[in-house]
Amino acid sequence: MSSRKIVITSGKGGVGKTTTTANLGAALAKRGKHVILIDADIGLRNLDLVLGLEKRIVFDLVEVAEGRCQLRQALIKDKRFESLSILPAAQTREKDAINEEQFASIVERAAEAADYVLIDCPAGIETGFRNAVAGASEAIVVTTPEVSAIRDADRVVGKLNDRGKPIRLIVNRLRQEMVRSGDMLSVEDVCEILAVELVGIVPDDEEVIDTTNRGEPIVLDENSRLRPIYDKIVRRLEGEIVPFTNFDQPGFFGRLIDALKAG
Amino acid sequence: MLDPVILSAQPEQNTKSMGESAPERAKPLGRAIVVTSGKGGVGKTTTTANLGTALAQRGASVALVDADVGLRNLDIVLGLESRVKHHLLDVLENRATLDEALVADKHSEKLFLLAAAQSREKDDVDTEKMKALILALRERFDYVLIDCPAGIELGFKNAVAGAEEAIVVCTPEVSAVRDVDRVVGLLGNRFRPQLVINRLRPLLVKKGKMLSVDDVNAILRLPLLGVIADEPEIIVTTNKGEPLALRKDAPTGAAYHAIAARVAGEDVPAPMPVTKESFFDKLGALFGGKKA
Repeated sequence: MSSRKIVITSGKGGVGKTTTTANLGAALAKRGKHVILIDADIGLRNLDLVLGLEKRIVFDLVEVAEGRCQLRQALIKDKRFESLSILPAAQTREKDAINEEQFASIVERAAEAADYVLIDCPAGIETGFRNAVAGASEAIVVTTPEVSAIRDADRVVGKLNDRGKPIRLIVNRLRQEMVRSGDMLSVEDVCEILAVELVGIVPDDEEVIDTTNRGEPIVLDENSRLRPIYDKIVRRLEGEIVPFTNFDQPGFFGRLIDALKAG
Repeated sequence: MLDPVILSAQPEQNTKSMGESAPERAKPLGRAIVVTSGKGGVGKTTTTANLGTALAQRGASVALVDADVGLRNLDIVLGLESRVKHHLLDVLENRATLDEALVADKHSEKLFLLAAAQSREKDDVDTEKMKALILALRERFDYVLIDCPAGIELGFKNAVAGAEEAIVVCTPEVSAVRDVDRVVGLLGNRFRPQLVINRLRPLLVKKGKMLSVDDVNAILRLPLLGVIADEPEIIVTTNKGEPLALRKDAPTGAAYHAIAARVAGEDVPAPMPVTKESFFDKLGALFGGKKA
């Protein structure tokens, strides 16, 4: 089986691309897959922080592109999973320090050594985006259920369609109680606007803030509320048919809101 | 080089070179402030819209410029998306005058929006023309707030080009702090950057699960304009296109007004979220309680 090369992108920043990349990578590694994560956000790298690997960086993406080191020298093995490694972005360089051919070539080399190559795309649709998309054969678009994020995602979906990349969608940071009160778009609304295949719905959860700051992917914590959600997304990526959790049950946020009101 | 069409509203071409012999102007040049962050999604657009609204409510004339060509959103946050006829690139490329392109705000009399082009790219913007445009706006408005795109690519450089001051927006997260630190480094000393800390959850800070204001500023060491709490009403008002700063009685609205006062040079304390639990804190506390 040939390996998968997936870019995680969004248009708008701060919707959860890096968190999604780290957690999908960890969830895939937990299933025994060999995974390489590439941080394409040259100059504003963060994937290393989210995985708690920032102190281990020796070489970076740009140095690999410039032939100053081998890809395998620049790859940092994750602390927890043997089969997960990251290629960090350069922090003190610019996005144009690398071109699309160089990027695609690195992705290709990474794909020879892994089952999955996940590319963490920078925000925006400039050079950094074009590079990140260049080597990918498919895309996951992450959006939050906000008008501005969806508008940006729509722009990105258009660009990915132009390039003929198959697209899947993750709706991130859903607050079901706000959907019910009519203050937030529902997943159905989002899917209807963007018209791409849904692969995951991730509720808004403060545990993300804490685990991100500590450099621990959520999927490592057996008690995490979000862990099963990322596991399901990964199973869907692998081709399994997994039904979506219905958050609109009386439970979950709803019960909380009721409890809040009662309190 | 200055573009004659852009400056057509104003006969003078270059204010600095004309020195003291310049003909008397109606008003001094307005302040051009870029709102930036490095990282996306930390609240640049929300801050721009709310600060602009609060400044306009104080009686200042304000132009908001959306510099996020290709991924514009400031029009949505202000609820003006259906009124945008011309955009930034129409003006830069002489297809529309400033007067034709400026959209009057629905709520605040002296507030205007110059929208970004949605179907164009950031490299279509000519940096020198952008500078001239911001200068032309400064001649007409007391404040020109420039909503910068995420990242540090060409879009950032063009957004910063005409500005003289910077407001950097940061959330209390290590990744946002790292990106802001990088941006402050790129800005250098010229822009005298001031800091807005956005989306603070006081209870999470108390529990040690979120960086505190002091944690953030121990790294950044910037003059603090104010701190805004994370509240769901921000999402609601953003989706509705009604900036919270319109409601001075609401805590978040009042915080934006205090920030505006500080920007205007008034000696008021930097707003801090009240110690009462935010909505999300309560939600979190309940979650935690249930788990235990």
